[in-house]
Amino acid sequence: MTYFIDGLATLFFGMLVTWRNLWRPKVTVRYPYQKRPVPPRYRGLFYLKWNEEKQRLNCVGCTLCAQACPTDVISMVKLGKGTNASVSEFTMDLGRCMFCNLCVEACPFDAIYMGPVYELASERRDACLFRITDLAQGGEEAVRKNIETIQRLMAEEEKAKPAATHPAGGHAE
Amino acid sequence: MPVSPEKQSTLSTVEILSQGMVINVGPQHPSTHGVLRLILTLDGEQILHCEPVIGYLHRGLEKMMERRPYRHNIPFTDRLDYLAALSNNLGICQCIERLGGVEVPERAKYIRVLLMELQRIASHLVFLGTFGTDLGATTMFLYAFRERELVLDLLEECTGARLTYNWIRVGGVPDDLPDGFAEKVLAFVKVFRQRLKEYDQLLTRNRIFRSRTQNIGVLPKDLALAYGTSGPVLRASGVAYDIRKVDPYEVYDRVEFDVPVFDRGDVWARYLVRMEEMHQSLRIIEQVLRDMPDGPVQTKLPKIFKPPAGIAYSRVESPRGELSFMMVSDGSPNPVRVHIRAPSFVNLSVLPCLLEGAKVADLVAILGSIDVVLGEIDR
Ligand code: SF4
Ligand code: SF4
Repeated sequence: MTYFIDGLATLFFGMLVTWRNLWRPKVTVRYPYQKRPVPPRYRGLFYLKWNEEKQRLNCVGCTLCAQACPTDVISMVKLGKGTNASVSEFTMDLGRCMFCNLCVEACPFDAIYMGPVYELASERRDACLFRITDLAQGGEEAVRKNIETIQRLMAEEEKAKPAATHPAGGHAE
Repeated sequence: MPVSPEKQSTLSTVEILSQGMVINVGPQHPSTHGVLRLILTLDGEQILHCEPVIGYLHRGLEKMMERRPYRHNIPFTDRLDYLAALSNNLGICQCIERLGGVEVPERAKYIRVLLMELQRIASHLVFLGTFGTDLGATTMFLYAFRERELVLDLLEECTGARLTYNWIRVGGVPDDLPDGFAEKVLAFVKVFRQRLKEYDQLLTRNRIFRSRTQNIGVLPKDLALAYGTSGPVLRASGVAYDIRKVDPYEVYDRVEFDVPVFDRGDVWARYLVRMEEMHQSLRIIEQVLRDMPDGPVQTKLPKIFKPPAGIAYSRVESPRGELSFMMVSDGSPNPVRVHIRAPSFVNLSVLPCLLEGAKVADLVAILGSIDVVLGEIDR
């Protein structure tokens, strides 16, 4: 008998909870059509920051991010040298990346960031490979401008230098 | 050929056992919560013998860690107990801090405790939801995961990820809490208190749920101690043992909370311990938010971190029990040896004892109540 009464109480309280939840706003979204906002700290697809003022990417090709990465995701080709350096290639194999943020924290020049893009699934393997044109803010155009700026800066530096140093030094490349 | 009476008395255990029916549960089974395989020997409805088979998820994590610099190892610990990634992060960071004698700023300690308790709630909610579904209470699953979403949103806002947070660093936490985070957490605490009451009405009061869990899978105190279980499994068997109290780390000695203990040792008690722990976590969160001082959150460390030669051991109370890390250093940038004591692994070892003599239908209840995570067991 107590069992029976207990069972009824179960039903009653269970239904009470259900009734209360009936009037709560719904919490689901219809995902592919509707998306939820992403918080500013979200760790999604990377981007290389474009510096509008200096017309170049912030990255100086110091490879600190590549050294900080536990899974060797990042590889790059340096362009130029000294303070005017940047990268001509910056490749990330995101198939290996675990979005751990260590590379972003390692960068001393605020050059690499993680953005809000999270739909990175693909049917092809090579789609995991993100090149500099995919990563740079502003895409191909930014990469082109970046290279132009760096070459210009290098040329200026070269012009200023030979007068002061040995003539045998530069111009080899 | 009939077996003679003398022969019958000398049958080996294997031969006797082979008389039962042997079935496989898993490795791909929704109730095993991962890739766990159980070889059951049955006599009708009764389980005569159970043999858990693990290792399907083995990644050689300890060896991987030995080949990388200390700080590179932190993201790997996310993949141990993937339902409580922050606890694992804290475990390894504490160990490295002890090895290198690194001081952690006060504020970072408070932030760590805050995140740890949010993580505990999220993890227990997964337990609650999946345990409910295992026993047929699908509604519970939906409600528990709805509230877990609130916790995950908070953690996402703070850490930037939803599952593999990687937000504890050697010497603190990488960044301060975002603006207005405390208010959001307090709002969540308020909502969640009320929701916990609803869970009680829905499950704790539930006659069917009680019948299915009470006096099932009883783990006596001495057996629990002999097997070295920890966490809710141990506390449900009547031992008040919580690392947060016995060996306080971070600021757990400065906050007030109770350690729930039940004597029954059955599935029901394990469920109650976890429910009560969520209440206590809310208490801790409120106190931490009240007392949190201002200040820096991270100690600056050299780029290449080389702790002095030595050995360090540290333990934390993860939602599943005592999680500890041991690291040996020889002064080089990589550890020489890393060992992880995974609470799920130890807790799983009592499963054959609990299942012996139990009914097949209780299998999922007993396994669910131990709350194992296979990522941690196989590592
Ligand atoms: S997020 Fe982590 S794994 Fe990915 S590239 Fe950066 S350091 Fe490497
Ligand atoms: S992204 Fe930053 S750390 Fe990486 S090479 Fe560029 S400047 Fe250096």
